[in-house]
Amino acid sequence: MQPITRREFVKRTAVAGAMLTSIPAILEACSGSSPTTSNKPSKLTIAAVQGAEDGPLKKVAPMYQSQSGITMEIVEFPYDQLFEKLVTTFQANGSSYDLCMMDDPWMPKFGTMGALQPLDSNFGFTRDSDIPSIVYDVGTWPPPHGPVPPSEQGKSQHLYGITIVGNVEMFMYRKDLATTPPTSWDDVLANAQKFNKANFYGYVIRGKATNPASSDSLPILWSFGGDIFDTSWKVKLDSTESIDAITFLTQTLKKYAEPGAANIDAADRDRLIAIGQAFQSTTWPAEVTGVVEAQGVSQVVGKMGYIPIPKGPGGKGLGMMGNWLLGIPKGSKNGSAAADFIKWLIKTENMKTYVQNGGIPTRTSLLNDPTLGQNNPYFPALAQSLAAQPNWRPRTDQWNAVETIYGTAVNQAVAGLKTPKDALTGAATQIRTAMKQAGYPS
Amino acid sequence: MRRLGTAVILRSALTTFALGLAGVLYGFPLYWLFVTSLKSKGELFASTVHLIPHNPTFAAYSSVLIDRGFWVLLKNSVVVCVSTVLVTLVVGLVITYPLTRLPVPARLRVGVLNWALSLRFLPPIAVVIPYFAIVRTVQIYDQPIALIGIYSLFNLPFAIWMLKGFLTEIPLELEDAARVDGATRWIAFWRVLLPLAAPGVMAAAIIIFTFAWSEFLFALILTATPNAQTFPVGVQGLVTQFEIIWNDMAAAGVIAMALPLVLMVIGRRYIVAGLTFGVIREK
Amino acid sequence: MQAVRAGWRRLSRDERLAYLILLPALSAVFVIVTIPFVLVIIQSLSTEDGTFVGPLNYSRALANPLLYEAIRATGVYALIVLPIEILLGLSFALLVHRTVRRPGLRAAIYVLAILPLVVPPVAIGVVARLIYAPGYGVLNVLLERYVGVHQEINWLGDPTLAMLAVASVDIWQWTPFVYLVLFSGLQTVPRESVEAAQIDGANWWAQFRYIDLHYLRPLFILILFFRLADVLRVFDHVFILTGGGPGTSTQLLSLYMYRVEFKFFDTGQAAALAVVVLVSFSLLYTLIARVLPLERA
Repeated sequence: MQPITRREFVKRTAVAGAMLTSIPAILEACSGSSPTTSNKPSKLTIAAVQGAEDGPLKKVAPMYQSQSGITMEIVEFPYDQLFEKLVTTFQANGSSYDLCMMDDPWMPKFGTMGALQPLDSNFGFTRDSDIPSIVYDVGTWPPPHGPVPPSEQGKSQHLYGITIVGNVEMFMYRKDLATTPPTSWDDVLANAQKFNKANFYGYVIRGKATNPASSDSLPILWSFGGDIFDTSWKVKLDSTESIDAITFLTQTLKKYAEPGAANIDAADRDRLIAIGQAFQSTTWPAEVTGVVEAQGVSQVVGKMGYIPIPKGPGGKGLGMMGNWLLGIPKGSKNGSAAADFIKWLIKTENMKTYVQNGGIPTRTSLLNDPTLGQNNPYFPALAQSLAAQPNWRPRTDQWNAVETIYGTAVNQAVAGLKTPKDALTGAATQIRTAMKQAGYPS
Repeated sequence: MRRLGTAVILRSALTTFALGLAGVLYGFPLYWLFVTSLKSKGELFASTVHLIPHNPTFAAYSSVLIDRGFWVLLKNSVVVCVSTVLVTLVVGLVITYPLTRLPVPARLRVGVLNWALSLRFLPPIAVVIPYFAIVRTVQIYDQPIALIGIYSLFNLPFAIWMLKGFLTEIPLELEDAARVDGATRWIAFWRVLLPLAAPGVMAAAIIIFTFAWSEFLFALILTATPNAQTFPVGVQGLVTQFEIIWNDMAAAGVIAMALPLVLMVIGRRYIVAGLTFGVIREK
Repeated sequence: MQAVRAGWRRLSRDERLAYLILLPALSAVFVIVTIPFVLVIIQSLSTEDGTFVGPLNYSRALANPLLYEAIRATGVYALIVLPIEILLGLSFALLVHRTVRRPGLRAAIYVLAILPLVVPPVAIGVVARLIYAPGYGVLNVLLERYVGVHQEINWLGDPTLAMLAVASVDIWQWTPFVYLVLFSGLQTVPRESVEAAQIDGANWWAQFRYIDLHYLRPLFILILFFRLADVLRVFDHVFILTGGGPGTSTQLLSLYMYRVEFKFFDTGQAAALAVVVLVSFSLLYTLIARVLPLERA
């Protein structure tokens, strides 16, 4: 090999160096958009919950992407972690997310933190008469009805979230086996007793600790006249009605429930229903489309009946809201582009596409659309449940702690570690302490 | 003679049995992980569980890496781990070089080593709480740099102890000889010491890499998007009870294990040394 | 100042170089390590919005019964895991040392034993879920098919079983570590003393008791130190396998602290907990470090 001169060496090195240093510039040029020429963002990042709830969103986001030219990045987290991650990001005032999916009981925490951009005053959102008012109420902070936390009483109301998954908790049963739908929890018990046999469970309890056990038991608690708080934030979890309700679930019904109920979550429950090993359970719409009625996955397609939550001893059955909302974090630098996406998504024709991809609508016109109803047998039950003004979980920023305490207590009762009475009395004491520390009247 | 023979046969049978049992208890979980990763979604819903997959498919792998976009997380992991290795080794060498090659009071040397060892006892969760506050203030939340910083700090004790061990073994005379020949201290370090210490430095690099690769708690807390999320965060995200995706979960587990396993084959002699701060040395 | 300058001049060139390199590096690391400590102490004495509240967070942290449940769970975990790992690791090391002669087989065992030490605990948590999880865990399938247990056992739903499940993962992952350390320790036992003992007619137990154990003793302390440090920080696989449940039965110390900070968002209490843990761990460390068989200079 020819030895190269010093000058040649310097020249070559310089060329190589120039090439290396210019790589970022070339990459920048290839990526196409430069942020200085337009204020339209090149990308919107959505924090979403993993599972059936964000499946349809993942399907329609690319459509928006091709229409608007904005890359839609969806970052998924399991349920528990999404909440933790959002709070952590809000605390860090990070600009990581332009949009976030929120379960409705998180609203109070985010509202109290002031973590979201108001949609009404900032981006001109107004109420649409085709969407039930409860849906807007759930995205409003402070809450338009029911008790308001002491620290929030002076704040002016704003809309912070728009529902994109119109979840209300309902009830499902094998209509191919039972001739009439259960109307009361007594009917549920009678059916559980009647159909329970080896390898076929009369009832499925979703008893995993914290959120699952809490969601599974709250409609029963309410239907029996129990509750966690009364209208002035006094804890009434240790009232006779509350204890009766939890005793009914964790002792009376549990006799006919699947083994290991204390560790069962929604996916396990749906699997038991889908492989034809269980008769009935509570359910969320997303579980219906995602698993129970999914062709190729479920063996009970078309065999399930869907009804609002059965009535308790007082003659009232109370469904529970579990809406998923879309909101815009304070830290996002692309607020108006994010708002445009929400507006696009809730337009009737786009929501229809969204429903065709498995989405759960909030528009009454779509819920009553017979063609859509064919593939979504639960739409009538959902429309009924929404119209009946379902309960929402207590609107307090302490809800997460309360739910953890309550959901752990119910789980302990399901597991048989404590009697329902002991579990609830203990939980009531813990909740009282926590609420008092957080400045609520005791 | 006969009795001795039976005893020997019995003993070797027992040994084989014990080794075999240990092998099964130990190997089956890994086998099951792999098998699950080869199953299709339909097979997961079947009401009987197949111990051998009926229609093995790599669908779960492409689902994890491409549909879920986890290749980005894989890339982040590599970037974070490589940077951590570089930072830790440089800082480690800067600290261990004077400790082993220059006249330093014994008390200082012992003090530094002891202090490094005590960091090993530090529970990460107690550190992450204040560290999160720092990350918030400096505005590096959801940036790889936040992870590189904390990983380097937590791996520094290993680096110091391991490098100290390797450097001590290299005779001072070799460098002295180079310096007598006119080399500066820097040249002697660069041309003589470092090449001799290279195997040890490589071993430290591999161990630090695998530790950083495995780290989960900090990555979970300090990242929010694929901008900085590492692979274990993605793996963990698939452990959900809301969806039946055990095949994806298993495939992600297999991928997470793959790289450390490859590295292990290269660095196997030094793993135990690394885990025991150089006390146990393989030949 | 004068004295320092005089002292500096008295040092040799090499000594000065050593300080020139060490001081900046060490002080940088020291500052980086110290800032969080100072910060966490400040945090522990104030509310989320920064008002000073004195020791209130400490009294809240120490009065919380969940803390003691977490300490108890951690203690139980350590008491299950450490003895079993040491006993199993020791028996296996003796077994291989005394009976396996083929170098190929020894090398294979060596590589297999290293494997669990390098794979991410998160991935091991995934493996554990595939085995124990309700509904799809394969352990129940195996028990039904080959042992005839038809009742589905709820491994993660029962407090005792869940603790055992979580501990079994630790045992699976870390017994090989104990094995490797002890096996390499057995290699250092001089052949002559073993042969002498055999001539004296010592049986295997006497051989172990009077010879091997002597060489292994410092290694046990070493194993205890590293395993204890790891057990006290266990998080990943428990987080994935049980998340601390059922109830709070597998909520080990790190999971509990995680929950206080990132689930209850109680920064003050979490910081107080962090300080308490850091102080008590430092004390624990000083106690243990005295007997550590590490070369110090």
